[in-house]
Amino acid sequence: MNRQMRKQNWLTALAVLLFLFGLGRALPAQEEEPLEEPAEIEVETPPPAEETEEAEPEAVEVAEESVYLAIVGGDIHSVTDGVTRKGIVLCKNGRILKVGRRVRIPKDARVIDATGMRVYPGLIAVDTSGFMRGSGASSRDGFDPFSLMVDLGLAGGLTTVHGSHAIGKLTRGSLEGMLVGTTPWVRLSWSSTSPSGRRSLRASFQIVRDYLRAERAQALDKELGEEVDELKEPKGLNKDHLRLLRGEAMARFSANSLKDLSGICDLLEEFPMQSVIFGGREAWACAGRLGRVNARLVLTPRSKQMADKRVNRPSGWSIENARKLWDAGVEFAILPSQKSISTGGIAGRDLLTLPMEAAFAIRGGLPQKAALRAITLDAAKILGMADRLGSIQVGKDADLIICDGDLFDYRTFVQWAVVNGAVVYDKQAMPYFAHIRPRPEPQKVIEAITDALKGDKVEEESAPTEGGEADAPEASVTPAESSTKKEPQD
Amino acid sequence: MFTTYMRVNSTNMFSSFLLLLSPVLLQDQERDPVGRVTAYRLDHVETLQGDALEKVVILVRDGMIERIGQAVIVPRGAEVVDLRGKGATAMPPFVLSHATSLQTATRGRGRNAKYRGIDTVWLSKEDTLKDYLERGVLLASIDPPGSGFPGRTSVVRTTASLPVPEALVDDLHLKVTVEANRSAMELLRSAFKDADSAIEKEKQAKLDWEKARKEWEEKQKSKAEEAKKKDSEKKEAGKDGGKDGAAKDADGKDADGKNGKDGKEEDKEPPKEFTPPKIDANLEPILDWVRKERVAQVWLDSASEWVHWQDVLKDQELSWELVLSHGSSHNFHEVIDDIAQAGVRVDIPAQIAKQTRYTRIRINLAAELVAAGLEKLILRPSRSGVRGVDSWRVGVAALVREGLDRQIALKAMTLEPAASIGQEEIVGPLIVGAAANFIILDGDPLDPLAEVLMVIEDGKRVYDREKEEDR
Repeated sequence: MNRQMRKQNWLTALAVLLFLFGLGRALPAQEEEPLEEPAEIEVETPPPAEETEEAEPEAVEVAEESVYLAIVGGDIHSVTDGVTRKGIVLCKNGRILKVGRRVRIPKDARVIDATGMRVYPGLIAVDTSGFMRGSGASSRDGFDPFSLMVDLGLAGGLTTVHGSHAIGKLTRGSLEGMLVGTTPWVRLSWSSTSPSGRRSLRASFQIVRDYLRAERAQALDKELGEEVDELKEPKGLNKDHLRLLRGEAMARFSANSLKDLSGICDLLEEFPMQSVIFGGREAWACAGRLGRVNARLVLTPRSKQMADKRVNRPSGWSIENARKLWDAGVEFAILPSQKSISTGGIAGRDLLTLPMEAAFAIRGGLPQKAALRAITLDAAKILGMADRLGSIQVGKDADLIICDGDLFDYRTFVQWAVVNGAVVYDKQAMPYFAHIRPRPEPQKVIEAITDALKGDKVEEESAPTEGGEADAPEASVTPAESSTKKEPQD
Repeated sequence: MFTTYMRVNSTNMFSSFLLLLSPVLLQDQERDPVGRVTAYRLDHVETLQGDALEKVVILVRDGMIERIGQAVIVPRGAEVVDLRGKGATAMPPFVLSHATSLQTATRGRGRNAKYRGIDTVWLSKEDTLKDYLERGVLLASIDPPGSGFPGRTSVVRTTASLPVPEALVDDLHLKVTVEANRSAMELLRSAFKDADSAIEKEKQAKLDWEKARKEWEEKQKSKAEEAKKKDSEKKEAGKDGGKDGAAKDADGKDADGKNGKDGKEEDKEPPKEFTPPKIDANLEPILDWVRKERVAQVWLDSASEWVHWQDVLKDQELSWELVLSHGSSHNFHEVIDDIAQAGVRVDIPAQIAKQTRYTRIRINLAAELVAAGLEKLILRPSRSGVRGVDSWRVGVAALVREGLDRQIALKAMTLEPAASIGQEEIVGPLIVGAAANFIILDGDPLDPLAEVLMVIEDGKRVYDREKEEDR
């Protein structure tokens, strides 16, 4: 008994000691915090103390190896989580680490002052040409990270392009992180003018379906403990079609007319599978059906065709095409009529002005947020990359564009493009558009933030930084004039 | 009287005094019995080691530079070549890092490392080499045509005998070209992979051999001991000499072993010397390179190819030099710092690069690379053939006018390419004790109007403009 008591005493003493030790460690951290807090712009929702305590040592430990980029003061159009006014996007090692109004910025972070600007996820273009050479994974070997196409793509707001079965990022000057993935889509041809083609396609899918049913029945039998024979692959089993019906691959169709689109809907109703339809000019006339078969589309809103007066059904193009599809819950990406960047003239219908193509859909009634989705997140979904690309969310790839106005305004230019957390395009540092409405003055690196981290003097509760709009009721911290410096030009 | 020659470099009182005296001294000097002495009296000498010298005499004896300086006593009886007053300038001879016009063969892309540059040489005219010599080129490196791994470079002297020039060095650098496309990159990757597996194979083969040899030796020893025992038991006599005896016994047992079932295989003696497994002739030079026994010459056309080269090279520490061509992109300025930091020798055409996107911006790649810390720069003619050599000095002059250091520029045409091909002995700075290989021009080497008057190779005048004109 006595021995046990003694042991207990020891344990209590140990526990008290540990507690005191923990308290002693926790206290200084609490003291430090107020010093570091004013670093950031908005003080809206102070994060719980635990979170900051956790985050702090992490930032200090890996500060030397990690590369930070902070985009400060812009309106963040996240696509998924609405708009954060005058927020901060903090990127670490190519990923988005934090998004919000109150984000602690590490000392060695590169800071872009985006005051008065808008931050969007980098645009994604499906089925482009000219950005990469080669096909699939070998596109990396043929990628020229200094090509004019890369520069112009970034100037047009693109950060990810898809083409020749490859998804690539415009990692200017580097091959690191360029190849995102491949799209081994199965191209299916469904045309109202080729009955034999339709027949053979359907027959092939029937074989696959029967095989899959037999497979499932066998699996069930096995579960029940019955003896089963080895399932034989039937003759003429198309492996691609098998992958499609198993949900392992995506079917790629090209169709514009209502007849073809309806036919594809028939096929998809009979054989449900993931699909993407390129074209979709008359999709507005069967938007509901397309939605029900869960088809995705790649539209060109300015692709026009007059209605066929000879047929007694809706036909021709419609400016409302995208809007009607949106209403029907169809996901779509937008592609201009020119799939590359045409340097032959400023036609405005190539990938240099992808948002203009989307703006035309907005003109037809598509909500602006839907138009943004179409050239970011929904495009990423079509490419199967929505977990990494397409929105400004914590954990996603740091692919961002910073624009000097609304993305869908014809005057708007991309001021900076960020790919994998690295600034790869700066309008003022590149020859293409620097002379058109130049940035009023070189944007400042808010060194005050880093100074504040060190605990130096910081003016609080002063006027918003230059370019700050009147619609910002919140007070913000202006970096001390003396401690601002020119943004280093690439 | 002075009985020895004197040389004073600095322009102090003493040297000027000597200068005044030199004609007098010349007469009194005894004729040198040892060898032919030639004195070249020149206006300038670009020694390419330290500052250029003015009003210089170069004394050449037995193919060596015996004296060089402003106050050189010319021995009596020496041949005096007086070129003073014409702006005559001596400098080390030019070295052409890529004499492409000397070859005709064409070959596509692939792993053709077995070929040598010298094998492709075909002189279109009898005096093609002489055309180079007349322009002050003493050495020319020839690289095999083609891309991928087209072969190994060779070096010829422009004074080589005709019609088939003998190579000074026939098997030098491994030429590697990089292109940004799948098949070209695959060629590089597979070469590294094959080289690694060949090394691994050889290592394994050696281990196997060592093991087999050891086992065999031990077996022989034990057999010999057994035999000895038997012998001693039987006869109780005989002391065999160590190794010889063992070998004899081994032979004897070998013969006996034939009777046994598996004795033939077991007792077969592994070779005494390890012979590495045979390697494909096209892989061998690549293997040398991977083993760091050979230098590769990596050809790039654009900044993109540099990035791809770095990508395929990864962290391998190999020795390589860069040969850059502007291609159509003219965008090496994008990677100047990276290239300079790589610390390798860089060979670029003597040409101001245009920057295609900023059409009005001219890039002096050479000067910028040097500013970024590049130490070893080669400038080669921007065009191939004799016409290229004609415009070579003009191109370099443009680079110097637009910011490149003059000394670096001159070295980049002479000493650096020579160092690249390992011929510093032949083309080095003009100093006492160096081989008397130099050229004399009638003006500044970077003056387009200056022409080569003489080429001196190992003290012999292998080209003399005056004599050629007389002929």
